[in-house]
Amino acid sequence: MRLLIDSTRAAEEELNAREQTSSELREDAARSSHPSPNPSPLLEQAGVNMLSRAARPAFRTGAAVALRPAAASAPIVQSSNYATLREIEGRLKSIRNIEKITKTMKIVASTKLTRAQRAMNESRTYGQTSNTVFDEAETKPLEGEGKKTLLVICSSDKGLCGGIHSGLTRAVRRLMNEKPADYELVILGEKCKAQLSRGNAKDIALTFSNIGKGIPSFADAQAVADQISLLPTDYAEVKIMYNKFVNAQSYEATVIPAFSEEAIAASPNFSSFEVDEEALANLREYSLANSLYWALAEGHACEQSARRNAMDNASKNAGDMISKYQILFNRTRQAVITGELVEIITGAAASES
Amino acid sequence: MAFAWKAAGITYNRYLAVAARVVRRSLKEDKRLVAERRGEMDLRFAKWENGKQGEAKNLASANEQAMAQQAGQQQ
Repeated sequence: MRLLIDSTRAAEEELNAREQTSSELREDAARSSHPSPNPSPLLEQAGVNMLSRAARPAFRTGAAVALRPAAASAPIVQSSNYATLREIEGRLKSIRNIEKITKTMKIVASTKLTRAQRAMNESRTYGQTSNTVFDEAETKPLEGEGKKTLLVICSSDKGLCGGIHSGLTRAVRRLMNEKPADYELVILGEKCKAQLSRGNAKDIALTFSNIGKGIPSFADAQAVADQISLLPTDYAEVKIMYNKFVNAQSYEATVIPAFSEEAIAASPNFSSFEVDEEALANLREYSLANSLYWALAEGHACEQSARRNAMDNASKNAGDMISKYQILFNRTRQAVITGELVEIITGAAASES
Repeated sequence: MAFAWKAAGITYNRYLAVAARVVRRSLKEDKRLVAERRGEMDLRFAKWENGKQGEAKNLASANEQAMAQQAGQQQ
């Protein structure tokens, strides 16, 4: 009997020390244990509640050691329940915060998306109009002759937008595997640079960063095109890879070709244009800038749209987790309260007998 | 036919950028502020050699330097 009382006492002490809010229950317990007809010396230690905080742990450990052989399991389960309850609460809070952040990012991406889409539609006109010339002239890239192909990859600096950057990287790798040739890479944006520098660092010629802060401007495209045309190597073909905006859900890594001067001059229908030979270099540079602008703007719109979707999904997942954890939290809390009540009742019953 | 910008050692794109900047600057105040935002360019770039990234440089100043060098060579 003494041991049993001892164990319930100890359990109560656990409760007291951990949960200040259960003070009413504690008082109930103290009251119910006092009117016992034959108070054991240990029961007098109800006064331990008034002991100083520092003295308490010593008592608790002493009690825990004393009751270990008998009903030791009860307080241990108790304490772990309390810990998980607090853990669940903490996790719930952090998920709520994450949900807030992702929701805000989604809203930001949505507002940026409309502007990015407008810029994309405008830039598409630039790119397609300047490529009409090559369509009409039926320009084909020149066949090999051991010349290198230049791949310009249009990604951006920012992440948190699903898999569009890695999709682009995968497309680049696939292209390099399917048509093995000498490739050199010009990478726009940090994300694809980080991914491609792992496997293809040798092929990289230039990387550009600071892309994707805002909507790409034509000045950006011109500066990049200038730097590309300043590269010392003579390329058979320049391929610009970007994410094509199919619809708001899907993007496709696509190639825009840009041609060298010889390729333009060798195109079958070239004679239908009356162009000075010398103007071709200018045409090449200018059409490269146009295509780059198109690719950058469309890639930017894809990125915003992908970010919106990713953040939408993240918010949804966070909502799911919150409801799951809320249920778990309530259930655990209920279980803890039930457990406490059971202990109090058994304690009271035991001390009365 | 010789091109003036080729003679000066700058590319066609650079020539267009300069011309566009002049047009933007000659606009009226309110329109100029909107238009000049379209001409902003703040890219950085790095040259890679043998799988190693070189020093990251500002693209605008690097372009200007390269053009100046070319102009020097042609004279």
